[in-house]
Amino acid sequence: MNDPKEALYYIDGVDVPETPPARDLDQEPWGETTVVGKPLPRVDGYERVSGTAVYPADMSLPRMLYGAILRCPHPNAVVRSVDTSAAAAMSGVHVVMSGFTPSSRALQAHRQLIESNLFNPHCRHEGETVAAVAADNPYRAQDALRAITVEYDVLPFVADERRALEPDAPQVREGGNQVSDTQQYQRGDIEQGFVEADVVLEEDYRCECEIHTPMELHGCVAQWDGDSLTLWESTQGVYNVQAQAAAALGVPLSKVRVVNRYMGGGFGSKLAAGKYTVIAALLAKEAARPVKLVLTREETLLAVGNRPPSNMHLKVGVKRDGTLTAIQFTGTGTGGSQQAGGTSLLDWIVRDLYVCPNVRTETTDIYINAGPARPFRAPGHPQCSWALEQMMDALAQAIDMDPVELRLRNIPTVSQGRNNIPYTTTGLRACLEEGARSFEWQQTKDAITTESDSHIRRGIGVASGLWVAGGGGPPSTAIVKIYADGSVNLNMGASDIGTGTKTVMAMVVAEELAIAPGDVQIEWADTGSTQYATGSGGSKTVPTESPAVRAAAIDVKAQLLELAAGEMEVDASLLSLADGKVVAGGDSPKEVEISALRSLRRRGSVTGIGYRGPNPSGKAVNPFVAQFCEVEVNTRTGEVNILRFLGAHDSGRVLNLLTYRNQVFGGITMGIGYGMTEQRVLDVDQTGKMANKNWHDYKLPTALDVPADMTCLPIDLNDTEANTTGAKGIGEPATIPTAPAVANAIYNATGVRVTGTPIDPTKLVSALAAARGED
Amino acid sequence: MIPEFNYVRAQSLTEAQQQLSTDGARVCAGGSDLLGCLRDEVFDCSKVVSVTGLDELRGITRSRDGGVNIGALTTIAELAANSTVQELYPGLAQAAAEVASPQLRNQGTIGGNICQKPRCWYYRGEFECLRKGGDTCYAMAGENQYHCILGGYRCYIVHPSDTAPALLALNASVQIAGPRGERVVPIEDFHVAPRDDVQRETVLEDNEIVVAISIPQPASGLRSSYRKVRARGSWDFALAGVALALAFDADRVTGGRVVLSGAAPIPWRSREVENTIIGQRIDATLAREAADAAMSEAAALKNNGYKIPLFKGVIEEQLLAIASA
Amino acid sequence: MAHDRRDHDEKAADTSGISRRGFISRVGAGAAVVAVASKASAESAKPTETMQATELSRITLTVNGQQRQVLVEPRWTLSHVLREELGLTGTKVGCERGECGACTVLIDGKPRYSCMTLAVEAQDADIVTVEGLMDGEDLGPTQEAFVEKDAFQCGYCTSGQILAVEGMLGDNPNPSLDEIRIGVSGNLCRCGAYVHIFQAAQRAAELKQGVGGES
Repeated sequence: MNDPKEALYYIDGVDVPETPPARDLDQEPWGETTVVGKPLPRVDGYERVSGTAVYPADMSLPRMLYGAILRCPHPNAVVRSVDTSAAAAMSGVHVVMSGFTPSSRALQAHRQLIESNLFNPHCRHEGETVAAVAADNPYRAQDALRAITVEYDVLPFVADERRALEPDAPQVREGGNQVSDTQQYQRGDIEQGFVEADVVLEEDYRCECEIHTPMELHGCVAQWDGDSLTLWESTQGVYNVQAQAAAALGVPLSKVRVVNRYMGGGFGSKLAAGKYTVIAALLAKEAARPVKLVLTREETLLAVGNRPPSNMHLKVGVKRDGTLTAIQFTGTGTGGSQQAGGTSLLDWIVRDLYVCPNVRTETTDIYINAGPARPFRAPGHPQCSWALEQMMDALAQAIDMDPVELRLRNIPTVSQGRNNIPYTTTGLRACLEEGARSFEWQQTKDAITTESDSHIRRGIGVASGLWVAGGGGPPSTAIVKIYADGSVNLNMGASDIGTGTKTVMAMVVAEELAIAPGDVQIEWADTGSTQYATGSGGSKTVPTESPAVRAAAIDVKAQLLELAAGEMEVDASLLSLADGKVVAGGDSPKEVEISALRSLRRRGSVTGIGYRGPNPSGKAVNPFVAQFCEVEVNTRTGEVNILRFLGAHDSGRVLNLLTYRNQVFGGITMGIGYGMTEQRVLDVDQTGKMANKNWHDYKLPTALDVPADMTCLPIDLNDTEANTTGAKGIGEPATIPTAPAVANAIYNATGVRVTGTPIDPTKLVSALAAARGED
Repeated sequence: MIPEFNYVRAQSLTEAQQQLSTDGARVCAGGSDLLGCLRDEVFDCSKVVSVTGLDELRGITRSRDGGVNIGALTTIAELAANSTVQELYPGLAQAAAEVASPQLRNQGTIGGNICQKPRCWYYRGEFECLRKGGDTCYAMAGENQYHCILGGYRCYIVHPSDTAPALLALNASVQIAGPRGERVVPIEDFHVAPRDDVQRETVLEDNEIVVAISIPQPASGLRSSYRKVRARGSWDFALAGVALALAFDADRVTGGRVVLSGAAPIPWRSREVENTIIGQRIDATLAREAADAAMSEAAALKNNGYKIPLFKGVIEEQLLAIASA
Repeated sequence: MAHDRRDHDEKAADTSGISRRGFISRVGAGAAVVAVASKASAESAKPTETMQATELSRITLTVNGQQRQVLVEPRWTLSHVLREELGLTGTKVGCERGECGACTVLIDGKPRYSCMTLAVEAQDADIVTVEGLMDGEDLGPTQEAFVEKDAFQCGYCTSGQILAVEGMLGDNPNPSLDEIRIGVSGNLCRCGAYVHIFQAAQRAAELKQGVGGES
């Protein structure tokens, strides 16, 4: 089978896009580094704390108008008519468009973006686009939306995937509510595996729908200059947006320039253009003025992506010695009313994380009348981890084995889900062993069991994981330029979505050219002026871009040293760079300031190009993780206080310890939200509408929901096979096992297992009361 | 984006009342609840009458009877940090500290806090619910995990305030200015249950304004506390809360009040708990008995059955805590 | 610090002595109240302010120490006016509903959500935005601490977090870890940089007191 990650992050119809082969220059793995790996503050920290960083929503252009979108309030309805006349007559309102106005129909279909029309005549989820306006200010734009009258035929809906396959369920699409055939995977003999087991456990698990809600709202500013469009878009991938917007508008790629300097988080929901992107472009075209279109928080909760809810059943067999003999997994999920990957990668962890010869999985994707899923930080993995890691905990107890030990008995060295090709490195054992040691797992366990029986109970939990991608790969091109005075410019297409990409890349350049990272000026994320890059997602930005950047730096260095060799009359192989100088070693040491090189001054600059080379064939490159936590549970109220967390991560070489740590803590924080506070609530029995489409009722974790005591333990294995910087991704793996680690700790504290997210008092207090025999 | 409204900044209480006497006028004190309601179009508003210039409504003063008088415009943060309140009525200071978030505590006023509109997601959302003049309470058969288990009748909201239960426990009263002069309403009679009027939360007339809240001198041996259980650590309303104001003679409860938040459409005085503990020494058995009694009349909806063990747990915990304080 | 405040409150109680209707004496709710009260008395002769919904009215805002005149509709929030009318886009908008804190500014020294404050209601106040924490082109101590501790990822909540810390430290220069956590609990960070934000707040307290070579 093909690598499953390709379906998520790569391009339709092309296997793996490639860049030209890397130039044949020495790219030995780094040994000791002087800059790479250090905990350095960000090169763009100043901009982000001073208020000077301009995000798309901050843009202001002369004569700019403000766009807004009218959305369907029903989960399933046909738009009969849209009366825009009152809105169009309002002062300060410049454009009003709907599915009944001509401009919106002059669009090419684009499968990923627009299934039919921009303004779909059949709205299959609450929040589907119905009309749009552009006005002098955002208040006026909302006034105009209020003045639009829409006639709907409101249809029956189904908003719960657990009911959508029932025979009398309303049909979301013609052809039934099952998206496609159930996906199956099998290896070994599952029945024989269960026969060989000493203990077999079965359990149902459910994960609620989680919504990305990055702090910055989705949106863009669109401006036409003749037939050329510029979009300042809050996106993870400018080239993705360029391709999709150009396709939808039917214009060449060269006529769409997408720029994204600063952006306020995406988590997968900003990998693609939105309908709002195309709407902004059309409004701007029709108004002949720039348009800023920033969604409301409500719109972002309804219509621009989510992590699908998952219903999972696991049956696992284990021998007394901890050997797993069989795993059977059944999962259903929903990407909403569109084909949006409702069960993407849902079973991957079951297939690949632990050694087990006999595995069978089945996943079924189901339509419901709700907003579309989009990739969300490790698609499928946190769900599967929630199930498998709680199951591992239960199995450990059933065979009276420590849960860390049970995991250690089943460490894989090959990717079983990919026909047993080896991993370049498997840090899982080190994550578990060193993590347990650093966490003082055994000592804490001993201390807890001897405690008194207060109604406040302590417990510890562990969970491990891996991420299917995280190795990165081609294509990527980077350019490093040395100016006549020796200062340096890096040009790359990748977005820095807050993970510190720019800082890490500046450090890579600095390492090779022996300068300070802050001295590297960076041009990034602009289809008009920077190199091609895939979207920043999938924990692949650092392992994809850093080898290309390193190659470009090595290339430019080689050219510079050749120039210097001529002038210094020394063989280039004896030259190196230090502190802005070219230094000749050997018997007669010499040095020349780079700015003093005449040939460089004549040329003005030297330009190095780097390409991302291919990944090692026949190998899997994946990051691994084990996380540990300690909790305190109030058994009277079901309140959980998470006391501390430790994340032990094998993500290859650490390129910047400070931003790496930030990723780990951020992943844990998001995982705490997933496990403890967040869920989409649909009014499934009455209206199908989302009940909690705001940030008070959709509860992100706050500063009071996470422990201040978090530890990041990098297992720095320096994966020399993976790529030329040895780095693997960290963003995704950091959030995968967090929620089940907490669930396991709660079980350890109370003896109560909660198999559905989120574990807030509404669930836990009832479970605790039931365990005490109360009703 | 908030729809249009006219704006008047009142220079006197009298003027504010006059301005509020026109249809569709709404008073704005801290404004945090009002602006949220306007943005969500929960109700119409043609005119916002700001009283923020009326500084005579601000501040906490000691009254002659030994209690305190809290101006309606006193912010929640000021209330939480006030040393007199902390000393005399720690339960009220604790309740104030549990309200919303630091920013909203700096903005929201005590007058506004007790007059808050419900936080029911149907009421706040695009649903023509009973309380907004429609004919259905969507919570009855819908997603009612955060709704009431006591006092529901046609409408199943919970009262969102943390300070109101503490004030009710402390036997506070509300000073109200209206066209016919001032009136004083015990806070116990201030909130309106859906059984009495499903579209009102308080007894305030449209042109009346809360000017102050007064709390009597604490009885001898009075201890007070407020405890709130919520789904997340900040910016969240009570899943269950309990305000206690109990007078003790040595270790025996001689009187006082027990008020539940997150339980009912109004701050809910639990006479069942009071009757169980008054005159008694609180021990583990009595605390459990009182907690069970508190829930004897509770009726759960589809998704809020957890509130019954939750209230029992938190009442038991808090009674034992205050008894040993 | 709690002690200092109480002392101050009691002093205010003894000396300010503003009485209302002759039967109560003021015990004070803090310095801010006293300051506001004195400002109000100077304004008591002001005529009634009325603004029509459909008209732009001129108001004066004091932002980062400068008086700014601006035409507004009564419904315009402070965050809208700061960003779209005054170009102070360091103040971000995440929810427009008082739920995320990205729009936090200081109003008379207190952190408030500018998306839940009408611009017209902010007229008599001192407003400080993240731009106002700069000393020319130099970062203020809280901003520096945020860079040093990497207390952000995407940076979109950061201005609000910084102002929440700034406001907290104004009240309480030596906050405990628990006080810091409460102090920033009105500011969401979806990237999850809270732990680094706690560290930055501690570092900012140090920097403001001259530890680490800063004043």
